[in-house]
Amino acid sequence: MAVQVDNVSKCYGRLRAVDGVSLEVKKGEVFAFLGPNGAGKTTTIKMITGLIQPDSGTVTVCGQQMSTDNQTAKGHLAYVPDQPFLYGKLTAREFMRFVGEMYGIEKDALKRRIEHHMEQLAVTKYADQLAEGYSHGMKQRVVLAAALLHEPDVLVVDEPMVGLDPRTARRVKDIFREWADAGRSVFMSTHTLDVAEAIADRIAIINQGRIVACGTLDELKAKAAREHRLEDIFLDLTNPDGPPEMEEAHITELAPRPTVENSPIETVPDAPPA
Amino acid sequence: MSDMPLIQPGQSPSFRILLRLKLSILRNRLRQLTDQTPLQLLMVLAFLAVIWLGLFMVFDYVLMFIRRFEKEAIIALPYVFHIFFFSMTLLLAISTAVLVYGGLFAREEPTFLLTTPNSPRNIVSIVYLESLFFSSWSLLLLGIPLMLAIGKVQGLPWHFYLTFAVAFLGFIPIPGAIGLVMALAVARFLPHLAKRTLVIVTSGIVLLGIYWWLRAWMTTSQNGLSQEFVRRVLGELAYIKSALLPSAWVSKAIQFSIQDNPLEAAFYLAVTVSTGVFLSWWSTVFVGSKFARAFGSAQSAATQTRRYSGWASAALTRVMFFYLPQRLRGVILKDVRHFLRDPLQWTQLAILFGLLALYLFYLPRTHPYGFEGGFQKVLCFMNFIAITLILSTFTSRFVFPMISLEGKQIWLVGLWPISRREVVWGKFFYALTVTACAALPVTILSINAVEAHGSLGWIQLLLTLASCFGLCGLAIGLGARFPNYKEPNANRISSGLGGTLNLIASVALVALNGVFFGAVCFYSQQAESDGAELTAKIIGLSSLGFLSGVGAGTAAIMVGVRRFRAQEF
Repeated sequence: MAVQVDNVSKCYGRLRAVDGVSLEVKKGEVFAFLGPNGAGKTTTIKMITGLIQPDSGTVTVCGQQMSTDNQTAKGHLAYVPDQPFLYGKLTAREFMRFVGEMYGIEKDALKRRIEHHMEQLAVTKYADQLAEGYSHGMKQRVVLAAALLHEPDVLVVDEPMVGLDPRTARRVKDIFREWADAGRSVFMSTHTLDVAEAIADRIAIINQGRIVACGTLDELKAKAAREHRLEDIFLDLTNPDGPPEMEEAHITELAPRPTVENSPIETVPDAPPA
Repeated sequence: MSDMPLIQPGQSPSFRILLRLKLSILRNRLRQLTDQTPLQLLMVLAFLAVIWLGLFMVFDYVLMFIRRFEKEAIIALPYVFHIFFFSMTLLLAISTAVLVYGGLFAREEPTFLLTTPNSPRNIVSIVYLESLFFSSWSLLLLGIPLMLAIGKVQGLPWHFYLTFAVAFLGFIPIPGAIGLVMALAVARFLPHLAKRTLVIVTSGIVLLGIYWWLRAWMTTSQNGLSQEFVRRVLGELAYIKSALLPSAWVSKAIQFSIQDNPLEAAFYLAVTVSTGVFLSWWSTVFVGSKFARAFGSAQSAATQTRRYSGWASAALTRVMFFYLPQRLRGVILKDVRHFLRDPLQWTQLAILFGLLALYLFYLPRTHPYGFEGGFQKVLCFMNFIAITLILSTFTSRFVFPMISLEGKQIWLVGLWPISRREVVWGKFFYALTVTACAALPVTILSINAVEAHGSLGWIQLLLTLASCFGLCGLAIGLGARFPNYKEPNANRISSGLGGTLNLIASVALVALNGVFFGAVCFYSQQAESDGAELTAKIIGLSSLGFLSGVGAGTAAIMVGVRRFRAQEF
């Protein structure tokens, strides 16, 4: 198991932000994490990445429990937040070199990887300019490229498509798919339901701190009784007024992952070496 | 590529990588400064040189003055060091705590670093080093001229300078370590009250200082600065010479060095340096071990739940800006609310003018029988300069970035149903009203303190108002002429090219008005000895001073309006 979140809860003062959430992200899967604003997505992500400690429950990454073996667990992770962080007075190349050095990547290999990922995400053109002049999309690409440098087993991304142009967004989707196909995992929180529908192997929906549905898209559709689009299912489940039709249908069993053949993602000719 | 060696599981990357990162940032920053804004760099260096020279002259004068009274000098000089280092302990501890809190708990950087395999201790150590560097600037600024002045006045040997420098460097980590632990305590136990804690601690220290001073004053002196008062003050200060205080060790190291006793000096130096090193080591280990948990607490702090009805700010705007049309008041209300809800702005203004008011409150007590004519005019002039300089600091830091800070919402300004000309003038009137409300009462206090009633007082009041007009006009006008809509940080906006130009122009205006008011004071003294109060020269110079302020402000606004109207969003 790549990520195991077991009955995790977190309170902010009187507000119960996350309430008994349990999740499993398998190796080789793209896992989409959906929910309305303030549902507890970012808090859950922060607990998975070890930024905050849960009040109860455990988070395990690649077999390492976050609360007891924090540093080892983080070695398996890379996190791309919704607000990408870069040092304004560093260039993209300098930032990536710094990240690579932190993960102990050998000098020549680091240079090759930097070039590869910069090219892959079209960062090369402005790689030697100071990051303070980058747009949100540019920052997002640099941070993602840096996150891939140490080939993490689990890539945790919060709103990865915000600010990206359609070509880069497509490239990022491809990268996520390839990453999962290479046996690693992607945990993606997003509001872009089309993206989740297109590339996620499994989808979890969180509302008011609780997981209200979890399963493959087909399973979610089956439970909704008719051929809903993900958008309809999401709106049903997170409707603050109406009773969610699927509230009692908490899908936990794991469906077989879609094969590459029946995956909606096209195979890209310039796939990066694993 | 997958066979490349990564760090071992659980192993933290070297601290040197983080250090190299910070040095790269510093190098790029300096390179950018020298390449893009060499004028700004030159200005900073020139101002630094002027400040250093000014401080050196002040210290030199004070030490020479003390030396004239040999017996008192023996008592006073150690007190100078003890007070200096004791105050520095408090200031450095608080400023390091603020910087560390910002660096570890309130920025995006630690969030990024904490998701990497970096050990928390490495992260804490780099932020601690960075904070020490930034917080000890004031100490260096004051310390270097103090050291040179003492060396010159006493004619001291080389080892004094060495002792002084090492004592400084060894002392800085002691309050720094205290600040580091303070920041951890706030993040761990009072994360949602971080700002309030800072205000409470700082106010507590200031109030304690005022209480202590007043007590000494009330019980000993009814007639100005008496010997009894000085003795009482020195008696009250005895506890800061306690052998347990690090400020006492560093003071003694320097004193023994002055007395040409390098052996004793080396002992206290060793105590200071070893304590600094030990406390740094211990505090980084301790805070490092608690950091992850404290970071979690700071992140988990209950979010802002206070509700703002906004009636008080709306009422205040209605009263303060009664002279403006309703639709412009609507625009100003937004800025008023920003001002009131940003403690940094109003506390800075309140602290600077509060200190000035305190000084003006005590000024008459130093001369219970009034001020002699010439001295009175000198004080009038100095107070005028102090007030306008504080104003120029405020307008450069807070007023100049106002137009730029509209930033990404600038399209909204473009869509408002008022002309762009009105937007600029609206911001100007807002700034003028706030600065005038702060500066005029202090000016009145100043006039009362030196008993400069009559025409001179009125002229001072008029020229202060003209300075407010000029400085606000320059800040708003140049802010609209050199906007930086991409930068959300007000500090960076005011330190850019436009901000630097504004600072230069503001200081020039203060100097120009200072020259006019200085001349008014001079001729006023002359007229007084001739038995007159107002002469043509005084009226002419006052008018010139008034016109220079109003003229500079209006011209800058015109330039700003023209640019702002042509601006495409």
